[in-house]
Amino acid sequence: MKVAVIIRQVPDVVEELVIAEDGRSLSEDDVMYITNELDDHALEQALILKGRHGAHVAAYGIGGSEARDALATSVAKGADEAVYVPLEFKDRGDNHKLAMHLAALLRDGGFDLILSGMQAVDEVDGSLGGILASHLSIPYMGGLLGVDLATSGGKVTVKKAYPGGRVGVMDVTSPAILGIQSSEQPPRYVPVNKVMQAKKTMQVKEMKTPVPNIAGLFITQLQKPETGARAKMLEGDEDGVASIIANLLKERGLL
Amino acid sequence: MSPDSIVVIAEHLKGELSDITLEMLACGRELANASGSELICMVLADDPGPFKALPFASNKTIIVKNPVLGTFNPEAYCKVLSHMLKEMSPRIVLMGSTSVGMDLAGMLSVTLGATVVGNCTRIQIEGRKLLVTSKLYGGKLTARSEVDQGMVLCLLMTGSYSKEGGMKNEISQIDIRDSPLSLDGLRTQFRELVEPEEGDVDLTKVPVLVGAGRGVQGADNVRVLEELAGLLGGAVCATRPVVDQGWLPRTRQVGRSGVIVKPRLYLAFGISGAPEHVEGMKDSEFIVAVNTDSGAPIFEVAHYGSTLDLQDLAPVLAEKIKELKGGK
Amino acid sequence: MSSIVSSEVSAGPEMNVTQAFLSRLEKLPDGQKVRDCIQCGMCAGVCPHGYAMDYTPRRMIAALRAGRLDDLFRSDSIWLCVACFNCSYRCPSGIPLAERLIPSLREELLSTGVGVPKELQTAFERTARYGNPFGESPKKRDAWIKEAGVKVRVLKEGDSADVLWHVGCFPSYNKANLKDTIALAKLLNVLDVDFGIMGSDEWCAGDLRCTAVGEEGLFNLLFEHNSLQLAGRSFKEVLVGDPHAYNALSREYARMGTAYRVSHYTQFLEERIPELSKLLKKKIDAKVTYHDSCCLGRKNDIYEAPRSLLEIIPGVKILEMPRNKENALCCGGGGGAMWLDSFIWERTRVPLSIQRVQEAARTGADILAVSCPLEIPRFEDAIKSSGLEGRLQVREISHMLADALGLVGGV
Repeated sequence: MKVAVIIRQVPDVVEELVIAEDGRSLSEDDVMYITNELDDHALEQALILKGRHGAHVAAYGIGGSEARDALATSVAKGADEAVYVPLEFKDRGDNHKLAMHLAALLRDGGFDLILSGMQAVDEVDGSLGGILASHLSIPYMGGLLGVDLATSGGKVTVKKAYPGGRVGVMDVTSPAILGIQSSEQPPRYVPVNKVMQAKKTMQVKEMKTPVPNIAGLFITQLQKPETGARAKMLEGDEDGVASIIANLLKERGLL
Repeated sequence: MSPDSIVVIAEHLKGELSDITLEMLACGRELANASGSELICMVLADDPGPFKALPFASNKTIIVKNPVLGTFNPEAYCKVLSHMLKEMSPRIVLMGSTSVGMDLAGMLSVTLGATVVGNCTRIQIEGRKLLVTSKLYGGKLTARSEVDQGMVLCLLMTGSYSKEGGMKNEISQIDIRDSPLSLDGLRTQFRELVEPEEGDVDLTKVPVLVGAGRGVQGADNVRVLEELAGLLGGAVCATRPVVDQGWLPRTRQVGRSGVIVKPRLYLAFGISGAPEHVEGMKDSEFIVAVNTDSGAPIFEVAHYGSTLDLQDLAPVLAEKIKELKGGK
Repeated sequence: MSSIVSSEVSAGPEMNVTQAFLSRLEKLPDGQKVRDCIQCGMCAGVCPHGYAMDYTPRRMIAALRAGRLDDLFRSDSIWLCVACFNCSYRCPSGIPLAERLIPSLREELLSTGVGVPKELQTAFERTARYGNPFGESPKKRDAWIKEAGVKVRVLKEGDSADVLWHVGCFPSYNKANLKDTIALAKLLNVLDVDFGIMGSDEWCAGDLRCTAVGEEGLFNLLFEHNSLQLAGRSFKEVLVGDPHAYNALSREYARMGTAYRVSHYTQFLEERIPELSKLLKKKIDAKVTYHDSCCLGRKNDIYEAPRSLLEIIPGVKILEMPRNKENALCCGGGGGAMWLDSFIWERTRVPLSIQRVQEAARTGADILAVSCPLEIPRFEDAIKSSGLEGRLQVREISHMLADALGLVGGV
């Protein structure tokens, strides 16, 4: 079984998000990148399939140099193959462009499953998986909490999150693209030593085909949210603030 | 592409319409009025029964029926919608920024050659131009985009429009039809819907919820929150990352993929306020949020807030509550 | 080549794995002393969690001798170690149990992917990425200087100062420790010390979560960053507020080839007692008992400096706990245990921090004085949990001194 995982680098929101002078994008110099959290879950799910069924896992790292680091981590965790897909700053956050690019790269890969996180914090044009699936004419399903091989051949059983904490069990005939919401167990830890080792010894294939030149969604403005109705902020130390809150609760008959 | 129409893709589960449908209709009604377009509500279902008497604010409601459309199956929905939307050629298609809409938008955008705008909180129309406001980066930034031509698929976030605006006093024209295509031989088969485990507590019935977010940092700090919850006659709930880490069971997850709650009191500790979680608790009567990040989006829905460290504040708050209760 | 693995045990795959592990262990400083274990059980006896371990250090070595590394992996015992160094201190053969054996076992667990408790995993991931276990932006590491009320120089590359103060993660980011960090800054200021900090270029020194917890790779990453940054500045000595950083910078960094003159603030200030005595303005009328931190005490033999500092404060009466100096009871936060409280409490009886504050209260003391930033949140928490609030207070020595000099308000 061959599984591809798409691992994107996205702006890390722990750091301050600085808007560029044009007011429509992030300032390139100030952005710190981190692997998209749900793509981490996708990798974990792929590794779980590797553990259970000996699947071959190919990690596709999308972005700049941070993507190469993410590939080292993926290999250290157990990915069998590492592919670097360079993507310049100006092309990031555009899933339609990325999907078209990846479709060309993945089409002949012979993958049974392509996993990616169902969402990324910087995307504004819909989930990557669905767009990619359409290009490759294969099914897509997102919001997944679990993936496994079905008891009857050629199919994959997935658990999809439905509202109210419900879980829908579905069967999909591969090849298919799966949008992961949460891997069956949290992404595993890999010691720094192993990552360093992987950095030195891994073989990375670099995709050199140019990114398609298609127009993306036209963003006119990027800004901090308007502070509309905002919370009344309580000042003071723990004692003071706790007293205020406790009294507010009392006034509302909540005690 | 005229006359222009606006289509809302309804969402439902187990015969019950999801609130997001009404919110989308409210948005659609606003847009339709502003642009003189026709608003159409599209329902894909196995049994039209529950939906045909609902007073949608649409001009027309189309119910497509087929047994396979009973519970959301992305492939089935995509096939039907692709066909119908191609025929109808609406200007705008509204879908929920939910596990339904997010599955469909990408696929449909390719088959229909349409633009997708995700995480929408507000949509306006100015002549031929569509102006959309979306949330990015977990709610930390807002993006404004413009689409001046072609079909647009907008994924609307829960809570952006009021449900009341999605209804009116009469039932609009209903058109019930069979699926225009065969839905045999699909590669995606729905097998069953599993109800959530009869967990320890039904979060929707608890009057007070103490929410634990990533800022809680570990299973230990959940204890203090449990004490607080106990004092207030409530329960502790969590955001998805906290559940993923195993600090609380999945039965305690509040948010888009967990439970939607409307308690009298919601105390949010260490919760940033990412849209997926806020969706699950924004209708709480009284919200107090504690987060050391003054820019955390949670403060946009909270009534009161504090940037003190929850590890310092929570125990003191527990003490104050005990004092006030003891005094009764 | 002889090995501690008994020759009577038939060579199977398990034994080869054990032998591989042992040969790695023996390459570490004093690692080969593991062969000298006489199975006396002193380690198990003095370990504060020994009663809860199915594999005490003694039994760990016995298992290794029997070629049964795997057994150790199936046990939780490895994660109960709080790096208090009692075992190493008492071992008649001088085996570095807490410093090398247990971390090596933990590292083995990590690299075979068997797993590490989740909270610890998060702390590692955050430290690797942001240089601190809280996951806060490195850019905010020196945000505290805005509230210091005194000038704190941030040394950039090429700058120099007499003293380079490695502030540390908890003292920089943790709200409960900020008042003590500021107190130390004020003390340095009033003593006219030419000092500077590295600001956001400073990363975690690595001892606490790394060498003691087995993430040697992470330690190396931090070491490389910090030593590069330190090399870019000139200074005569490094000052630390955190005993774990003291351990890392004076011992581990030296082991890796970069040696600095390092002092803990208690040593640094002890050298300046004459000047400090002249600046005293306030009495602190209190009975004070001092908790010897494991990293300063047993690990590095620093017992007198903190006490000398307390003695100069007028009004202070020092009372000793029964378990003091080299017999001090660990606060339970070392070896990564700071993140493993739930895990450990599920497996042990009374938390160590609670035992310790109760012992402190029994001396009749009003103040429990400490010299390690981790002890502030741990003991404050323990005081509340054991109902000693109002009877006992935890205070960092730096804060008490600054208070006595009239530089900060009391607590």
